[in-house]
Amino acid sequence: MLTPGRRLRLAPRRLVATAWPWLALLAVFGAVRLSKGAAVNDAYALLSRPFWPGTAQSEWLRSAQDLDRQTRLQQLEADNRRLRGLLDLDRAAGAAALSAPVISRQAGGWWQQLVIGRGGLQGVRGGDAVLAPGGLLGRVASVTPTTATVVLLTDPSSRIGVWVGRVRHHGLLVGAGTSRPMLRFIERDVGVRPGDVVTTSPASTLLPPNLTIGVVQRVNEQAVPAPEAVVQLSAPVQAVDWVQVRRP
Amino acid sequence: MSSLARQRWTLATALVVPLLVLAAPAPLHLDGVPPSWAVLWLLPWALVDGPLSGAVAGFALALALDGLHPGPLSQAPALVLLGWWWGRLGRQAPLIRRSFNLGLLALLGAAALGASLWLQQLIRGLGDPAALHTLLAQTVITALLAPTLCSLQLLLWRRLSPGNRG
Repeated sequence: MLTPGRRLRLAPRRLVATAWPWLALLAVFGAVRLSKGAAVNDAYALLSRPFWPGTAQSEWLRSAQDLDRQTRLQQLEADNRRLRGLLDLDRAAGAAALSAPVISRQAGGWWQQLVIGRGGLQGVRGGDAVLAPGGLLGRVASVTPTTATVVLLTDPSSRIGVWVGRVRHHGLLVGAGTSRPMLRFIERDVGVRPGDVVTTSPASTLLPPNLTIGVVQRVNEQAVPAPEAVVQLSAPVQAVDWVQVRRP
Repeated sequence: MSSLARQRWTLATALVVPLLVLAAPAPLHLDGVPPSWAVLWLLPWALVDGPLSGAVAGFALALALDGLHPGPLSQAPALVLLGWWWGRLGRQAPLIRRSFNLGLLALLGAAALGASLWLQQLIRGLGDPAALHTLLAQTVITALLAPTLCSLQLLLWRRLSPGNRG
């Protein structure tokens, strides 16, 4: 507050004329500070856009991520083997897979089966699991010296116990004569939803554990006495020419 | 047993049926369902060679085919009845040689075979939601192939067995 008799003293006009660039610079820097550098970042992005990293660098990054995932997968598999060994569930851990050609394919009609070109002479036994790229296809039902008949998971006579990992529930996968088998549960509230992955049980003794079977496509919560789900198999039956046979 | 069955190589042609079942040629499938090769072989055989030969051939064929498929379903009841029925038709009815008649008989035969398999599934508690689709598709494709394939076989069997009416 000014006291009476004193005059307001303004800065000399000459001083203002000399110092205004500095004042402007201070105002600009202050604005940058208050905006946390937003304008500078945007301006830098605009100016440097021609020099941004190209697709080659993103591919390097992706391959590095793949390598990282593979390494982690190997570590997890090693851990899994060690833990299964501790739990005495390592029967299938070291089982070698036997490759076999598909010599007859009947994926439609009254019977849904494959005939593969490996049999008893090569060590195939009834009940062995048959896999294709993508997951489990079915189980060996009968064996001759040089061939084996595989009942597909889609055959109406096929019934195997499966595991839905997300909700940690067992179910029974029943062939329905179509390309999509039915998953039946024992309990009422299982919480399964489309997209859940279906595998063989981690503690299975009839089939190798943790084999991918498919993905839940549709759930019927109103089914009696327990919910049912339709499963889309992950292994393409119509497209495979070679399969792998694995002992449970 | 009548004259056609006495020529042993003619019976050996039945071996083509299990081979065709195993080969399952995809171009002859209708919506993924193959024709009933057993019906296509048995129909002309029974028409030419009579009811007893038809029933026995149907039973033999069913034994071979049931061996190819694991599971409890059997084609024997339907194939025996069809062989006997078609054999009686060949003996009693006027000469069957028109394509439409062959197609109709094959249609009825494939439908009866499919119905017997469906019935067995129901009795054994093997629910098959696709059974009706399979039955219809197999019946249609069998009936469509019958005029060509059965006519050729009828022609061959009648030349080899001129004494039989068929």
